[in-house]
Amino acid sequence: MKRKNKKFQKKGSSNSLNKLSLFQKNDNKFSRKCPLSIKNAPIVDYKNINLLKKYMSDNGKIISSKITSVSFGKQKKLTKEIKKAKILGLL
Amino acid sequence: MAFYENTIIAKQDLAEKDLKSLKEKYNEIINSSSGKVIKIEEWGLLNLANKIKNYKKGFYIHYKFEGASKTVEEIERKIKIDSSVIRHLTVKYKQLDTTNEFFKKDNKKS
Repeated sequence: MKRKNKKFQKKGSSNSLNKLSLFQKNDNKFSRKCPLSIKNAPIVDYKNINLLKKYMSDNGKIISSKITSVSFGKQKKLTKEIKKAKILGLL
Repeated sequence: MAFYENTIIAKQDLAEKDLKSLKEKYNEIINSSSGKVIKIEEWGLLNLANKIKNYKKGFYIHYKFEGASKTVEEIERKIKIDSSVIRHLTVKYKQLDTTNEFFKKDNKKS
């Protein structure tokens, strides 16, 4: 019975309104799966600026994969492509 | 032989004739030094994100070509001498996709 209760609680906590305290993490704010390794994913390239801009902060820093949930391999590729775009003065 | 992409940023204040001659000049350089140009793209005048040599805008020319390492050396040597080019970048690729053009779409929208 206890196990069942736990499962139920987890489901309930998916809504941000159901949080018990302010310091509780809201897990479902970002999707867990990597958005760049699905089928028909957008191409990570230094010419594709609109995509690269999504993974950068306003100050021009690269956002960490903890927040964006990009896989390790794709994050490495992203940083390389962003740096290429910065050389060309595109970002 | 491998595939390469080369982008050049030319000065903003060049005349149209100079731009055309610059475009053909590098086209000939690639073709003459055991390379083969597959595609040339003109991205047009774009705003630079930060100032490069006191220029705020630049004219982008993009080459996709097949060639040996000698051709890349030759181009980069010529670019370094050229005073009308602000900045350049060459990237090596295993395969080139000539279908996608990221900068043409933007022009149509705007």
